Amino acid sequence: MKDRNDVGGYVRRVQEGTQRYAQDVLAENERLRMLVTALEGEKLLLADKARLVGELVQANEALRTLAASLETETRRLQDHAVALRADRERFETELARLQSQLDGVKDESERYSARYAEVEQQNSNLANLYVASYRLHGTLSRKEVLDTIQEIVANLIGSEEAALFELDPAAHTLKLAASFGAGPDTRRSIPLGDGLIGRAAAAGEIYVADPDAAPSEAEGERNLTACIPLVLDGRVSGAIVIYRLLPQKAGVEDVDRELFDLLATHAATALYCTKLHQELGARVGAGR
Amino acid sequence: MSKKKILVVDDSKTAMFMVTTILRKGPYQVITADDGQRAVEVALAERPDLILMDVIMPRMTGFEACRELRQREETKTTPIILVTTRGEAENIETGFDSGCTDYVTKPINGQELLAKVRDHIAA
Repeated sequence: MKDRNDVGGYVRRVQEGTQRYAQDVLAENERLRMLVTALEGEKLLLADKARLVGELVQANEALRTLAASLETETRRLQDHAVALRADRERFETELARLQSQLDGVKDESERYSARYAEVEQQNSNLANLYVASYRLHGTLSRKEVLDTIQEIVANLIGSEEAALFELDPAAHTLKLAASFGAGPDTRRSIPLGDGLIGRAAAAGEIYVADPDAAPSEAEGERNLTACIPLVLDGRVSGAIVIYRLLPQKAGVEDVDRELFDLLATHAATALYCTKLHQELGARVGAGR
Repeated sequence: MSKKKILVVDDSKTAMFMVTTILRKGPYQVITADDGQRAVEVALAERPDLILMDVIMPRMTGFEACRELRQREETKTTPIILVTTRGEAENIETGFDSGCTDYVTKPINGQELLAKVRDHIAA
């Protein structure tokens, strides 16, 4: 009985041991299953990481290539910048040279412009002198010479107030021969040496009033601008007296002085020619 | 290129000679008239590109001729430069009232005249 009990106890113990073992095996199995599951998850994670690393490696490679290409481009651009800087310096030097040349051309152009204006003015002045001379000698009519003198004074000199005196050699007196716009106070005769007009005629020298000096208040000399003795063969034959200039005319200019010189001889000659022509005509008429 | 035609009107032979001498230095054909009435006739017949006209003239003054020319279809836009002896504002105003385009005062300055002619002929 004792043996039977011993066997039964042994079997029970074996059964219990087997049961515990089975339970342990099951527990171990479960643990291992869970471990496998965990490892599978880990494997997937690692696979993902490996893929990511692969991508990163690729990206890194691409970046490396890009960096290399950028480095090359940077070097190229640096070289280009150096070349451009050299170009800029060359262009700046060239620009400075051209600017200096341009300044020179501008200066020259301004000089030429001024010279051109000067020559044009001289041309204009010469044209005036030519016109005056041509007109004075283009006729043998005394009236036309007197008209021409008036027109020269009005159109070329710029005065509408003038008088022409002729010398009476016997009386040593200037006699009024014609006047226009000169006003009623124009003297009809002026003894040589009397007043500004008489003195200019006696000396045979052109008188031009000084614009800064006080004007003469003597009879027939108010508003006097100039007195031009008519001189023929060294002798005074009369005088052209110019009174007030036109309002827009600022004063006597260089060309006016040249016209005065021209009138002094050419008007005298023209008037003398008309006188000779008249006398010749009269003689021819008397001879018929 | 054909020369531009300029009608110069002045009763003074000296002024006329001077102006034509100046203008003939330029590329201009100059025709002339010696009073306002004749200026109107010549302008209508010749159709100049510009008229340069003195103010004080017999038969018809520059102002009157200017007014007359402005009423004619053929010459109502032709530039007219009046040559005035007096440069006072009143005189200038009368000129512009009569229809002139511009004016120059005596004594005529050749450069100024040519500049004005160039301006108005080019316009």
